[in-house]
Amino acid sequence: DRVKGQGRGCLLKEIHLNVTDLGLGYRTKEELIFRYCSGPCFDAETNYDKILNNLTHNKKLDKETPSRTCCRPVAFDDDVSFLDDSLEYHTLKKHSAKKCACV
Amino acid sequence: PALAKENNCLNAAKACNLNDTCKKYRSAYISPCTSRVSTAEVCNKRKCHKALRQFFDKVPPKHSYGMLFCSCPLGDQLACSERRRQTIVPACSYEDKEKPNCLALQASCKTNYICRSRLADFFTNCQPEPRSLSGCLKENYADCLLSYSGLIGTVMTPNYLRSPKISVSPFCDCSSSGNSKEECDRFTEFFTDNGCLRNAIQAFGNGTDVSVWQPMPPV
Repeated sequence: DRVKGQGRGCLLKEIHLNVTDLGLGYRTKEELIFRYCSGPCFDAETNYDKILNNLTHNKKLDKETPSRTCCRPVAFDDDVSFLDDSLEYHTLKKHSAKKCACV
Repeated sequence: PALAKENNCLNAAKACNLNDTCKKYRSAYISPCTSRVSTAEVCNKRKCHKALRQFFDKVPPKHSYGMLFCSCPLGDQLACSERRRQTIVPACSYEDKEKPNCLALQASCKTNYICRSRLADFFTNCQPEPRSLSGCLKENYADCLLSYSGLIGTVMTPNYLRSPKISVSPFCDCSSSGNSKEECDRFTEFFTDNGCLRNAIQAFGNGTDVSVWQPMPPV
């Protein structure tokens, strides 16, 4: 029997950043932990993904390239707030991952 | 070569956002305290106060006091002291359309059981005593800071005044006090000119009072 993988390569990772590193246009010296999902999802692929792969390869789908299994957040981290240089508060929602899966 | 002055209030905010508990409860009060609910109201003050009480209830003092009682150098007004003043989101939690008389505010506090008990704790634990080395009758800075921070999220919510030395006050004054002018002045001075509270805040900010960080061993 085949052992079915469930995307064990897709993991939650984190990096310590300045809020300005996010490139969202805020001017502040505050910092945060950004968590993201990364890793391969080959072991979680279904017949659907294999068919898409074959059809793309054999050029049966014209110009379309439908997405295959992706390592993505399935839950987001709590909101984060910070005070900017003009003393205004901002709150970011759904900015950082909490749980990952191959979807 | 150290021209870059440390901003303790900014450092405390950074430390908070790197800690999952502090980050969660910080944004949990900043959201309601900064969300406009109607054209007339800048925020839902009741929700803002409730979330502020939760922040000080749930977040370890290392982080919550770190932001509330951070120390700022005298010269530094905007970057550090203003950030400290903004900790409680005063535009929502503190300021109001009209400034009530402090004795009237005290009376309204006494009609609410949380506010009444927290104000009583504050008057007990931050009682000044000029003859004691600490400046406090009860020589326990941790208890004074705890009862002061306990007022945040009640109608007696205090905040830092824009003053060169550490001075705090609830949002009220003693105008139109009539015959009770002296009583009102005594009440406000317990906030604005209280040696015990000031020493407790400074000791925390300078990191000189270790007992606040760690629970005291039983005697």
